[in-house]
Amino acid sequence: MARSNYEYPGYERSGAGYWTKTTLLYVLVTAGALWMTLPFWWTLTTSLSASPTAATVSFIPAEFTLDNFLTLWRRPDILLVRWFVNTVIFAVTVTAFNLTFDSLAGYALAKVDFWGRDKLFLGFISTMMIPGMVTLIPVYLILVELGWINTYQGLIAPLVAQPLGIFLLRQHFKSLPSALGDAAKIDGCNEFQTFYKIYLPLAKPALATLGIFTFMGAWNNFQWPLIIANDNEMYTLPIALFAVRNQYFAEWGLMMAAALIIVAPVIVAFLAAQNYFIRGMSLSGMKG
Amino acid sequence: MATESQRSLVGDVLAGTRRILASAKHRVGITEDQNNLMGFAFVAPNILVFSAFLLGPVLYAFYISFQEWSILAGAGTWVGLTNYVEVLRPLPLAYTGNGLTWRPEVLTSPSANLWWYALKNTFVYAIGTVPLQIFGGLAVALMLDKRVRFKKTYRAAYFMPVMLSGAASAVMWRWFLAGDGVINSVLPTFLEHNWAGDPGTALGGVMLMAVWGGIGSNMIFFLAGLQNIPEELYEAARIDGASAWHRFRHVTWPSLGNTNFFVFVMAIISAFQVFGIALVFSEGGPVYATTTTVLLIYQRAFEEGAFGEGAAMAFLLFILIFSFSYYQYRYRDETEVDY
Repeated sequence: MARSNYEYPGYERSGAGYWTKTTLLYVLVTAGALWMTLPFWWTLTTSLSASPTAATVSFIPAEFTLDNFLTLWRRPDILLVRWFVNTVIFAVTVTAFNLTFDSLAGYALAKVDFWGRDKLFLGFISTMMIPGMVTLIPVYLILVELGWINTYQGLIAPLVAQPLGIFLLRQHFKSLPSALGDAAKIDGCNEFQTFYKIYLPLAKPALATLGIFTFMGAWNNFQWPLIIANDNEMYTLPIALFAVRNQYFAEWGLMMAAALIIVAPVIVAFLAAQNYFIRGMSLSGMKG
Repeated sequence: MATESQRSLVGDVLAGTRRILASAKHRVGITEDQNNLMGFAFVAPNILVFSAFLLGPVLYAFYISFQEWSILAGAGTWVGLTNYVEVLRPLPLAYTGNGLTWRPEVLTSPSANLWWYALKNTFVYAIGTVPLQIFGGLAVALMLDKRVRFKKTYRAAYFMPVMLSGAASAVMWRWFLAGDGVINSVLPTFLEHNWAGDPGTALGGVMLMAVWGGIGSNMIFFLAGLQNIPEELYEAARIDGASAWHRFRHVTWPSLGNTNFFVFVMAIISAFQVFGIALVFSEGGPVYATTTTVLLIYQRAFEEGAFGEGAAMAFLLFILIFSFSYYQYRYRDETEVDY
């Protein structure tokens, strides 16, 4: 209500035209939001139905039951806890490494003056064009040689740094004033202390954004664990879902329960970091 | 014991070396006030990871693409360009006695050549999904950037599909689009169809799923971009009497230049690499209808063990993505608007 019509001609907030427009806006936004969320509702109702078929499940669960979740828990070939722990180890470690390595590099590329810095940055960025499939085959063959197939280090090592993270954090560090670092150095900080004590705390929103992106990416990563984890014990959740799908193809109630188990932790992580999220995005140099 | 002359010789050599080093440093642009040691120490872990898992492997993949790989031996034999020729032949464009002829059957039938058929599927997928993901994301961002009630709830709703694993999303949509699935139960009877099981509509199902999952992430990028447009530009436009469309066309759209570039390039690059959702949705079928380029590479290399041919295909895809990104980059430089 801060603006009046007097100040901005053409910005009417009353009259028939305004109400039509507003109604239309809400109808569109709500229809879109329903399209986005309805599939989750269907997934929930299917997972809570005893014998789901299209006729019985659409908007409310038919013959309400928790059997699908209990079956996932009980079947001996479904190692739910093991897969969950695998995925947590994988996603958390990958995120921790990425935040460490990317913030170090992002800081140096933004604030430390060294030979060949800008060319190096361009080099990092242009690696984003390399399709994952090009490196997948050779890295797989290398890890076979190392005996790292079906190991945690094999799952984690190739994913510990990513160019997008370096880009995001470099842009953020660049937007912080250099005078802060100069002052810290006059007070006797070395380069690492300047980074760790002055700039890193200021990068929290960008780190939160990158952190949740990386966590989500690793949690949902399909391509890499599919190749490296081919032993039941080493599956992460998405790979396990693919394997279970091949085995219990038409048991939709079971499948939907499994899908919900995969997405739940990510929703929790997102809600926890949501306030940082959009702010971090706009601070990260995605300037229009 | 070193004599006086020996000592001066050592001194001269040291001084000379220092001078040569200094001039070499000067020539490559190293200056005294740079902090090279610290700079490189900070980027060293990344250089190490990128060399070991990105650049090294790219060169290795290039080498493998000229090999017939044997899994048992863990080694390959040199076959020259054979892999590339096998992948590409027959070409959809052939030279015969009377000039160039177009052979559409290479693109329309999976039995002629799977690479071209998969590439066609990938292009159909990219052309069908990228504009909808981008303009859908932009439209939602524009609507939710305004003063809308429950803004946060709406944003969370649009972001939910983004949080979902591609594998989970594919399993869900497979059920919705199955013959006895949920979509058919809300459709009128005459429209009921086995969407996922029909070669004619299966790829459409994958595309629907991709648009559903892609709008939310683009919305976030556009919302971030919109926040950076100064309000004064809109005020000025309003005072000049610009309509909503003109404000969008002449203020919002040009101001989003960098966001547009970023979103578009990322969307295309990921569309050309669509893999997981197609694999889990229908494993490339029915009748290769959802076999995309990367899915084909995966099947050749990791299911059939033809790593050489897989690497050759991966390189062809690399060339495609690289040319596209380079073209976009050049094109952007010419049209960039700065405020």
